[in-house]
Amino acid sequence: MSTCKTLLRACPKSSRSSLLPLTHHRHESSTRRHKKLLNLSDAPSYTPSTRTPTLIFNPPSSAPSVYHTPLKFLPQTDRRRQLYSAALTSTTQTALRTRTPSIAHSGTPLSTPSFLPPKPSTPLPAPVREPYEKKYHLTEKDMEEIRKLRTEDPDTWTRVRLAEKFGCSQFFVGMIVKNTEKAERVREEHEKMRERWGPRRRMAREDRGQRRERWGREV
Amino acid sequence: MKRIRILTCGTRLLARPAPRRPLCPCAPQLQRHPHTTPHSPRTQAQWQSSSALAESFDASLSDPHADPPLESTEDEFPLEVLPSPHPHASKSSAKLAALRSRLSLPPRFPLETLARTLVHPSADPNPAFNNASLSILGANLLGYYTTEHLLCNYPRLPMEVVFAAQFAYIGPKALTTIAAEWGIEAAAEPGGEVDPGLLQFRRLRSGDELPAALRRPKLPPKWNITVTHKILSNDEFGSPTRRVAPEDLASRPVPLEEAAQAFVRALIGSMHLHLGSPAVKRFYRDHFLSRHLDLDKLFDFRTPTRDLSRLCAREGFEAPVARLISETGRLSRHPVFVVGVFSGKDKLGEGAGSSLDEARVRAAAAALKGWYLYKPLEVTVPSSTEGGVGANQWKPNMVDCGEVIV
Repeated sequence: MSTCKTLLRACPKSSRSSLLPLTHHRHESSTRRHKKLLNLSDAPSYTPSTRTPTLIFNPPSSAPSVYHTPLKFLPQTDRRRQLYSAALTSTTQTALRTRTPSIAHSGTPLSTPSFLPPKPSTPLPAPVREPYEKKYHLTEKDMEEIRKLRTEDPDTWTRVRLAEKFGCSQFFVGMIVKNTEKAERVREEHEKMRERWGPRRRMAREDRGQRRERWGREV
Repeated sequence: MKRIRILTCGTRLLARPAPRRPLCPCAPQLQRHPHTTPHSPRTQAQWQSSSALAESFDASLSDPHADPPLESTEDEFPLEVLPSPHPHASKSSAKLAALRSRLSLPPRFPLETLARTLVHPSADPNPAFNNASLSILGANLLGYYTTEHLLCNYPRLPMEVVFAAQFAYIGPKALTTIAAEWGIEAAAEPGGEVDPGLLQFRRLRSGDELPAALRRPKLPPKWNITVTHKILSNDEFGSPTRRVAPEDLASRPVPLEEAAQAFVRALIGSMHLHLGSPAVKRFYRDHFLSRHLDLDKLFDFRTPTRDLSRLCAREGFEAPVARLISETGRLSRHPVFVVGVFSGKDKLGEGAGSSLDEARVRAAAAALKGWYLYKPLEVTVPSSTEGGVGANQWKPNMVDCGEVIV
């Protein structure tokens, strides 16, 4: 807050009487500006509410450790299940007791906790991809039809178009019928295309592939 | 890893009923002397069991002028004739005594045995004087303690990760590093006149070819070599070849790594024989398990999203759904998306990435690691129940049904 104030003060006001000469005005002493106003109080998580020595636990926000097994993955006999459920109960009670986080309003003291545990009624975040139900709607006749179309005219009836027509996934079409001729032809075309790449593009593609492999390796 | 190679052990222990020290020219002299400390494993065992060992040590300590017969024989047999240092030289070696106290081994661990663990078969082909038998025993013990630690503490680890963790804990590279940290120095050339506190092996000159036993031929991968096959028939690291038999390396030049790992294994084996298994377990905990290993860095998932959905289907959880927890800079050059994988209302894992796909895949990989790296609270390793007094009560550990197979 104070930082914003000093910043505002640093900006000169445009509405000035043009007749006066341009002189430098100092409204506050340098000490006050540089020391006192910038002397922010400690972050709320570092200022304990009691005078007695307490433990301050305030880790920086980071990815959760993979060594903390999620509740769902714990076996039924594990004692950590009880701890998890106790923690869940207490956070739920806290969330229900507290009203909306007051951090949004102006004039909120810094000691207010900004992050509240989610209420049980809070909806989950939006899915990255729309979840879908598997339909299993294709009959044996449909599959025959797919096979016929794909073998007769693989250039018109690509996997994408067949998937659109029959409302299934491209992967499923590939499972039903494989056209090795077409696959070989496409592979050769791609190979020819790749041969035309220069060193920069080739290296960029290889790097991308290596980065992709690292997705499943490091967390 | 878990089995004892009875065949190799058998040939090693049972093959030589005949003269105890066939090659040593000083043998008759030494055997006549009353204060000789035994060298071959058989006599060592006898001495230890008859509790005469401590007395004889006291006697030799209190009587420093007891003349070792070595000096009288030196005229007839120059030390250079011997392929490795004479057992008697170990008494006067400062390096050996320093090594013993550096490793905090008790004085009842004989220096002669410590000297023997430093003799690789490439220096001395005689199995009565090199560390081949001890290193086989030590390798089995190391494999046993590491495997039980991994399998009991992380019951859900996939087998490939167990192999990699074994390699990281007790693989050749790790053992070589451990030997270097203990301050083991290698002799330039083995021989009878060399200080017995140095690692004795015949060096492979740089640029020379490895001996045939150590060479790993580049074979095309076979489709029928499964993980089960690796568990049953190969060494404890799941490598495609069997473990090298020490007799194949006799008198052949070998790299330092081979000799150093044989020494560390032989030391474990000789400690087991002289000091008993509790001391070995303590030593193993202090020197091997204390080394930090990030198990979560050993995983390599190719299709984590598919594996996770298979896992959820197998365990009867709801199908996993990737949900966007937070994002920043979607239209910028460096966006960051934080995606969590949810099964029902429970979050299984979380990942961040610069594209939605990357974050989703990373989140699935994190969830799979969360499953595989589960660690039970109370663990009883099988070796902790051994021994009468102070042994733990056996409580059955968790046994998982196995990794996800897609």
